[in-house]
Amino acid sequence: MIALIGKLSVSIACIASVLAMVFYYRSVQKNSQKDLFLGNALNIGVLVLTTVAMAGLVYLLVTHQFQYFYVYNYTSTDLAVRYLVAALWGGQEGSFLVWIFFTSLTTVGLMRWSPPGYRAPVLFFMTLSLAFLLSMTLGWDIGGIKIGASPFRTLLEEMPDAPFLKANPDFVPVDGRGLNDLLRSPWMVIHPPILFMGFAMMTVPFAFALAALWMRNYTEWITPALPWTLASNLFLFVAIFLGAYWAYVTLSFGGFWAWDPVENASLVPWIFGVAGIHTMLIQRKNAGAMRASFLFAIFAYILILYEAFLTRSGILGDASVHSFVDLGLYNQLLLFMLVNATLGIVLLALRYKELPGTKEPSAIFSPEFMVFSGSMMLFITAMVIILGTSSPIIGRLFSENPTPPEISFYNNWTLPLGMILAIMTVLGQVVWRRKVDSSESLARILTWPTVVTSVVSVAAIIVGNVQNPLYMLYIVSTVFALVGNGWILVDLLRRSPKLTGGAISHVGFAVLLIGSLASTAYNTYLLDAESKNYNVAVEQGLVKDDLGMPVIQTVNMFKLDLNQSKPIDGGWTVTYLGMTRSNIDRPGEQRYKIAFQRTDEPDGHRFIMEPVVYPMLATSSPDNIQWSVDPEVNAGILSDLYMYVASSAHLEKEMEGRQGTIPSASSDSDTTSQAMPKIKLKRAESRVLGSYKVTFNDFESLTAEELPDSAIVGVRAILTITDSETGEEVSAKPSFAIISNGEERYSMSQPISIDSWNLVVRFDEINPQTDEITLSFRGDRLPLVVTDDWVLVVADKKPFISFVWIGTFLLMIGFSVSIMRRWADLRKKPHLSSEPSPVE
Amino acid sequence: MKPRVIFGTVAIALFTSLLFYNFANSISTYTDFEQASGRSSTNIHVVGKWASDQPSGFSVETKSFSFFMTDEKGNTRRVIYGHAKPSNFEQADQMVVIGEMRNDVFYAHDMLLKCPSKYNDGREAEFERPMPG
Repeated sequence: MIALIGKLSVSIACIASVLAMVFYYRSVQKNSQKDLFLGNALNIGVLVLTTVAMAGLVYLLVTHQFQYFYVYNYTSTDLAVRYLVAALWGGQEGSFLVWIFFTSLTTVGLMRWSPPGYRAPVLFFMTLSLAFLLSMTLGWDIGGIKIGASPFRTLLEEMPDAPFLKANPDFVPVDGRGLNDLLRSPWMVIHPPILFMGFAMMTVPFAFALAALWMRNYTEWITPALPWTLASNLFLFVAIFLGAYWAYVTLSFGGFWAWDPVENASLVPWIFGVAGIHTMLIQRKNAGAMRASFLFAIFAYILILYEAFLTRSGILGDASVHSFVDLGLYNQLLLFMLVNATLGIVLLALRYKELPGTKEPSAIFSPEFMVFSGSMMLFITAMVIILGTSSPIIGRLFSENPTPPEISFYNNWTLPLGMILAIMTVLGQVVWRRKVDSSESLARILTWPTVVTSVVSVAAIIVGNVQNPLYMLYIVSTVFALVGNGWILVDLLRRSPKLTGGAISHVGFAVLLIGSLASTAYNTYLLDAESKNYNVAVEQGLVKDDLGMPVIQTVNMFKLDLNQSKPIDGGWTVTYLGMTRSNIDRPGEQRYKIAFQRTDEPDGHRFIMEPVVYPMLATSSPDNIQWSVDPEVNAGILSDLYMYVASSAHLEKEMEGRQGTIPSASSDSDTTSQAMPKIKLKRAESRVLGSYKVTFNDFESLTAEELPDSAIVGVRAILTITDSETGEEVSAKPSFAIISNGEERYSMSQPISIDSWNLVVRFDEINPQTDEITLSFRGDRLPLVVTDDWVLVVADKKPFISFVWIGTFLLMIGFSVSIMRRWADLRKKPHLSSEPSPVE
Repeated sequence: MKPRVIFGTVAIALFTSLLFYNFANSISTYTDFEQASGRSSTNIHVVGKWASDQPSGFSVETKSFSFFMTDEKGNTRRVIYGHAKPSNFEQADQMVVIGEMRNDVFYAHDMLLKCPSKYNDGREAEFERPMPG
């Protein structure tokens, strides 16, 4: 019933949006308020229907209606309510609904907050996107042509050939597949909706640009479009930031950015949006900038659609990292992108000649020239990233079956481009705020910032021991951006704080650039002496593997034994304090405690890091559990300490029993000792071991017949073992002997089995001074005791990664200040502002 | 033509050529073990499947994970991956190892696993970076 309502809502909404487009079109042609009103009424209907459909899907998710494929596929009964709701955007079909909802909401908002002269055409283009998006969720089948994938389809519709459904079409699974463990994170609850909000708002500058071309009103659209463009860029940026932070703190990607196609595909529209904002600001004075404004506004959105196409069509699936599964939407997505792109390009081409021409080329020190050049650098940066991301397609020019480019491709290009951009932010800001007519006046203004930059950069290069000349240049240019923009910001704060948006954003950008390089290029693995010696030996070719081949890979981790402190790089002494299991959030989760303390001040500040390893139960089969790690970050202003547990005795223990491990001499004996829990006992002492209580009563000497040949000494321990569950008692007398062949001594101990309990006990060792004995046990009712407790730890020092987050926050603040300022500007222009005014 | 236009065109042409030259060098092609053994690149991509009937394991001494992989042509070679065993290793129905070939052993510095998708229903698959641990 609910599903039917949902399905109908989406279908009616899709038809309504197509109808609304017709009315908007007529409204533009005839300048008719009545058609505009009808279109608006339909669009409000679309918003209501979308909300109903979304609420319906949430209801199905929360009430565990597993007969529906989407519910079955993304949720399970053990999920907390917040993740049940988050499953709305956990899958592709549901995330379309969220995208539709935000686009619809924006469209309704534009009915009021758009200038009357542009209103009908803007709404026309908004509704066009809305109609396309709605069509993705239809799930219609017209004569074998499938349109959209409905989030409300049943299991039977999804898998008509599945045998269990053929046998019983009404079959409802008791539980669903569940949300992937990696997505069970608070970030999952907020990151995707904000991203879709950014996507939806990016439609607005696109719609305004096309409306301006359509209405032949080429300049006024900027004022109303600017706050929306700023807002959509802000949301997109926040979403990118949340994704990066999520990747850093919980997904153990090892950093905040990996140049992954999905990440790139959200960064590129943002760069286009930012370039668009810059050209919009100067378009009145520069004809090139006006044309570029149209281009950027149009292509920022086309690139969002390109991203949707890349990630949702399955095209990346064959050749690359990370992609969604093809739901059969390939053609529909391609059409969506092509229709919008064609509309944009054709309209721009038709009107291109009419756009006001250049009067004279802008002078080099004019704000127009500087800002325009900056936008072009942003454009080039975006093109480089698009080229790399499109390697499955463009790479075919060079290679039959192309792989993605190496990460260094992105780094090598964005580094110099970032440097140029950094310098341009200062030049742009200076010529924007001050009257600059020659290089002399520019030099005069920039004298102090340059002096400060030189001092700070040289200090940074010396303190940081920077040797790469390219990095030196990068430091100089980014510090220049920080100092120059900071200086402008301080100046502005005194005079007109409302205008500081741009300056704050540029300071943020500089800080972000500094943090990006420092945390990635100077990321260092902290190692102990043993690992460092090993790495030196590897480099000299001295280490051989078990096949006798030289080992060529250095290690980035070190081993810690329980309670044994070890000095590592960075002036730390680390101690592994043990592991605790918990079943609260993720059953079977292992939390390791590792203490860090400064080596040179043993009584100084000490803190404990708690990296986690957990079994991914939702995505593993019971006999083959996958484990995942949750890194731990100790954040600081100057550097972060980032660590995770790569392996441990406990983990090895859990994974034991897998077939065919390559035995190596030392790990073999390790395994045996782990398999047999050991206890140490003195005479007349008792110890509890799992459900057993072991009492060591006394020694007994072996008789001469019992002693093996050439034995020096032989004893037997008289033990009483009690089963604490049944109270049953048995006596066991394992023996221990030392044999000498004249030169060497061996110990010999024969394990004793207690067959009725399936328990084996062995007398391993005796300490002659204290008479303390060591016993080891094997049996199926023993606890998982790991006697040889160790962890392999990967710890990195990431310098100045805090700058990435600080820069991000400054950018967010800067954007927000700019939005308020541009919104206020818009209010001052009655004919462009939101107040409805009669057109006739 | 104005000197400004000529300068701009030359600059764009130079930039584009350099960009594409560098791009072409930084991508590589998916290949098999036979072809890989003849190459000296350290960025060789080989696609294949885990040979689960052969021994595999993590060595605490060399802190590397080694296993046997069968490429798409059916050649099976030993692969040494210089990190801990990726936790989603056994689940992968296909994998890409990235690294270099030496004496018939493939030394991988990176590995991509094609696992039943985490966002989707498992009919299709996606590649993902292996998770340490």
